[in-house]
Amino acid sequence: MVKAVKGVVVECDTSVKQIILGLNEKGQFIIEDLDDTHVFVDASCVEQLRYDIDEILNENTYKVEESK
Amino acid sequence: MAKFQTSIHEYLETLPLQTFNRLYQKPATCLAIFRLLPPLGKQIIMSSLYVDTPIPVADMKLWFKESGGHVKHREAMQRLKALNIFSEERGNCMMNATFLEQFRNALTGGGNSQSFGLATSTPDKHHVDIAFLDDYATKQWEAILHFMVGTTEGRPPCKGVLNLLGRSGLMTGGPDATQGDNMDARDFANQMARHDFGVPKITHKGFQFLLQDINTQVWAFLLQYLNMAESLNMDLVEVLTFFFQLGSLELGNDYSSETLTPTQTHLLEDLKAYGIVYQRKRGSRRFYPTRLATTLTSGTPVMLGSHTNATKMTAAAAAARKADDEEEDDHGFIVLETNYRIYAYTDSPLQIAVLNLFVHLRDRFPNMVTGVVTRDSIRRALSKGITADQIITYLNAHAHAQMRKHSPILPLTVVDQIRLWEIEKNRLRPTPSWLYSQFSRQQDFESTLEYASELGVVLWSHQKRRLVCITAEGHTAVGAYVRKLISRHKEQQAQQQAQQQAQQQQQQQQRHVTSVVS
Repeated sequence: MVKAVKGVVVECDTSVKQIILGLNEKGQFIIEDLDDTHVFVDASCVEQLRYDIDEILNENTYKVEESK
Repeated sequence: MAKFQTSIHEYLETLPLQTFNRLYQKPATCLAIFRLLPPLGKQIIMSSLYVDTPIPVADMKLWFKESGGHVKHREAMQRLKALNIFSEERGNCMMNATFLEQFRNALTGGGNSQSFGLATSTPDKHHVDIAFLDDYATKQWEAILHFMVGTTEGRPPCKGVLNLLGRSGLMTGGPDATQGDNMDARDFANQMARHDFGVPKITHKGFQFLLQDINTQVWAFLLQYLNMAESLNMDLVEVLTFFFQLGSLELGNDYSSETLTPTQTHLLEDLKAYGIVYQRKRGSRRFYPTRLATTLTSGTPVMLGSHTNATKMTAAAAAARKADDEEEDDHGFIVLETNYRIYAYTDSPLQIAVLNLFVHLRDRFPNMVTGVVTRDSIRRALSKGITADQIITYLNAHAHAQMRKHSPILPLTVVDQIRLWEIEKNRLRPTPSWLYSQFSRQQDFESTLEYASELGVVLWSHQKRRLVCITAEGHTAVGAYVRKLISRHKEQQAQQQAQQQAQQQQQQQQRHVTSVVS
């Protein structure tokens, strides 16, 4: 029997995909892991996800002004 | 990206014929519209102005050369027809009778002269000179721009300006701003002016606005005013007529405000706030147009004080001008180095405030500021809705003459990095969709996929896992298709079962028969 689920396809690069998988261990929002660059998630968590990823990427960025 | 409506042409072309006929009753309007036309349009009008009989279209074609001319001719005529200056009837070109008459009046000085503004007959006791008017216009206009970029310099603009800023989407006042569209103009003004409404924030439209030249900015403002005038029950024709009349006034002269209609008197009040006209005190019988007004329809760039020099060039104009007078370009003040440092030779608080939108400013000297383009500063700008392209265009347009000696003007590393920072901000590309899974048969999956891709609604699919993602729009169609597939499949199954049962029965009967026979 065919099943249709509502959600959001998130397209991203592979590194972000791994971060998403990591975040999923806490939250469990992934409905279906599609492939390396696509993941199907719950619609309500996209904004939170965007914010979380931004935070994580921010921590891992080299900043010019601090080098002085 | 939402394009900000800045061209008066686009606006005029949306007006109905009746409005045009009323507009053309004023010689000043006819002249102003004529001035706004491209050269070829002017040429056509001038050629046929004193031809009293309709001109056959075929004859008019003879005015143009065979090859490229006809295309240009068609373009120009399209413009003229859109403005209802010309109409075509049974192979003849007719000029709008009202326009014809009033434009002749405008050129030869006949008819109703008040249309060009009535100069006051008595000398003004408090006469002001051009320098004062320029200063006044600059101050008023910059106050608005200052307010937009959020500097505390100067007093905040009056309610009318705030209202206009909010209505035009140049600035938003926090989360409530989305309601702005369906709110009455007055309500919105009140809300914008109320203290607890929060500090209005510049939108990305607003940033685009800041990057325009001042003439375009003024027109953008006036067009927005026109849109608002309709909702305030002001007569559109009177407002437009007044704008065009202003364009034909002479700088440094004073004009009588006694001949103005009540609507136009009200308008005068508002224009005063933008620095387009000067009136010594409210209700004064005379007003002075400033340079902002007199250059409205002339198409020449506005020359205001040094403060606005840099903001008055659009990127396009800069690019065009760059080609012919690279040496003379004195508007550039930004030096950007490959190490992301930025040196801006300016003392204008306005330019510094604009820079502050996307540069981490560090030191300020009497004639320059220094700063660094950092990831954080760019991200701050990006989160305000400003795009990387807008930043790069701005830097390009205002690059210092020294920078212009290089090609490309801006260091590639910085430009690329700014773009990368933007891309980095959008690393997730979410699309609302439906995931179809658990197809029981491969052929069902394949036919569904084929149907969906014909509709162009497939976001992602996987053959082996029998998964397909359909956009939210395609869901109803594909869902119906799948349901039909399943029901057809069920019918087939039911038929097969029925057939099987029938066969079984036959077999049983046969067996029965054989057993009876034996």
